[in-house]
Amino acid sequence: MAVTTPQQATGQVAIRASREPRNVFVRMYRQWADYAYIFPALFAMFFVIAYPIAYTIYLSFYSTPTAGDNVWNGLTNYTSIITAERFWMITQNTMYWTIVSTILAFIIGTGAALIAQREFIGRGLVRGIFLIPWVISHVATAYIWVWIFHSDYGLVSGMLMDLGIISSPLVILDSTTWAMPALILVNVWKDFPFIMIMMLAGLQTVPDHLIRAAKMDGASTWQQFRHVTLPHLKGVIIITLLLTIVMNLNHFTLPWIMTGGGPASTTHIWITEVYALAFRSLRFGIASAFSVVLFIIMMSMAYFYVKAMTAGDDRRR
Amino acid sequence: MAATALSREERLERARRRKPKRQIRSTDVLAWITLALLLLFSLVPMAWMLSTSLKTQFAALQLPPEWIPSNITFEHYVRLLSPQSEVGQEFLRYFWNSIFVSSMTTLAAVAIAVPAGYAFSKFRFPGRQGFFIAVLIRNMFPAIVFLIPLFIMMRAVGLIDTHLALIITYLTFGLPLAIWLLKGFYDNIPTELEYAARIDGASRFQAFIRIIMPLSSPGIIATAIYAFIIAWNEYVYALTFLTSRELLTLPVGLQRFFDEYVTNWPGLMAASFVMSIPVVIIFLVLQKFFVQALTEGAVKS
Repeated sequence: MAVTTPQQATGQVAIRASREPRNVFVRMYRQWADYAYIFPALFAMFFVIAYPIAYTIYLSFYSTPTAGDNVWNGLTNYTSIITAERFWMITQNTMYWTIVSTILAFIIGTGAALIAQREFIGRGLVRGIFLIPWVISHVATAYIWVWIFHSDYGLVSGMLMDLGIISSPLVILDSTTWAMPALILVNVWKDFPFIMIMMLAGLQTVPDHLIRAAKMDGASTWQQFRHVTLPHLKGVIIITLLLTIVMNLNHFTLPWIMTGGGPASTTHIWITEVYALAFRSLRFGIASAFSVVLFIIMMSMAYFYVKAMTAGDDRRR
Repeated sequence: MAATALSREERLERARRRKPKRQIRSTDVLAWITLALLLLFSLVPMAWMLSTSLKTQFAALQLPPEWIPSNITFEHYVRLLSPQSEVGQEFLRYFWNSIFVSSMTTLAAVAIAVPAGYAFSKFRFPGRQGFFIAVLIRNMFPAIVFLIPLFIMMRAVGLIDTHLALIITYLTFGLPLAIWLLKGFYDNIPTELEYAARIDGASRFQAFIRIIMPLSSPGIIATAIYAFIIAWNEYVYALTFLTSRELLTLPVGLQRFFDEYVTNWPGLMAASFVMSIPVVIIFLVLQKFFVQALTEGAVKS
């Protein structure tokens, strides 16, 4: 891989390297036109990302009464979040939701990818069908499933009664035991296609000749998968897992619409709690502090993500 | 002698033919079962939505649930899509708002992401790596963490309750992945092509527009689909930024419908269905480009 570097990075680098000035500003000045290409992107990203981050951190140290000016209150927002029992309960919910969703979606998504890469008639159609849940909106998804889980007339309850498994309507989204598993099921339904695409993309990078060689050496299908395919997919798997975890941590719409965090806050996760604090209770200060806590958690994950992402890049350059 | 040789050859030939077949068969069966289960899993909710939307309100509340409605009715669709009815007017308004916001976002996202992706791929300017990492990090941040400051900011500049506020925010959600996808695409286009154009007298910008852009059209289409779908489906920001009823986009509009017609499940399912059609169609038609772009761009090393 590393051997191909000069060819791939080509021209500009090679040509410029010989007479490239040392001073970074001189180089920046000489290459001003390069920046013109990324300027619009940078500009947009700055206003909608850098500024909001700074402002959130600023607000997190203030109490924000609905009328009147913001009042500095130091770390009070932070301490009140972390000492509240509620925070830890919601953290538990978030972990439950994220870990179970990620594992299930990953297993199903990988299975779907392994199938969708086999060659058979109608493969394009099957791929298309698998991707539908991912494409439709979270709001539509939420209502479809609210209807499926409806306790009196829903599909699940109705079918189970019809089959004689239960005798009275099954309460799902209003039950403290079943609401979270039901939400997780919907979440997996919605997200497994994403994992499928990522894994499909990864599977296509596995060189054919390696598989054929393994086959010739008498490796079974499982052995081929375990010793040839899997090692090749390591990078993709790490990136996909990280993205899925982050995606799950940030899923707002499904829990918000389907249960609103209820019953008894058993389906409140960090994100829905932040939203409720800010836009239901209008406590922007404390919600900002909560956001900053989330920032820190995400940043630590971003670190691994960037490492995984740029690992391939460095090798190529 | 000749006969035995032939039969041995024959036997070998048969064994050769049989062996791979038998090996494939056990995994094949497993694959077909998994395929069937997965198809069921993906399709049942969609089928149930469609089936419910074709029932009368009364029939929808019957037990046991009916898969194929005995009386198929299109009344809910007619009501949603006819400009005469009150519900129809409202729904069509939301629909139009969604189309407007999503198309504008898509146009802007493509216009911004194409040059940026190209620059990240081909140019070596100071700070390039840093910018790229910043772009990647954005991928890790939950949209909702930006909600509070953006809300306050938009309120300060008077953009609350406008479509512009939504277009600006959606744009930046899509940009990081779009830039990343396109960068991967441009990495695969040989720089020699550009040099050839330059030698023929084109400026760098001309080479970019005439040579590189057409070659990367699958990547650009993928970016466009991605930006469109994100904008079409987005809910939280629309919920927070928009207050006037006539400005709502479909996801929030659907929620309005839900609050107002809680018991009219067929109507709600019809609305969900109509709302899903555009993205599903766009996606199915252009899926090839999307998967190709991800394959080319996202995952390689």
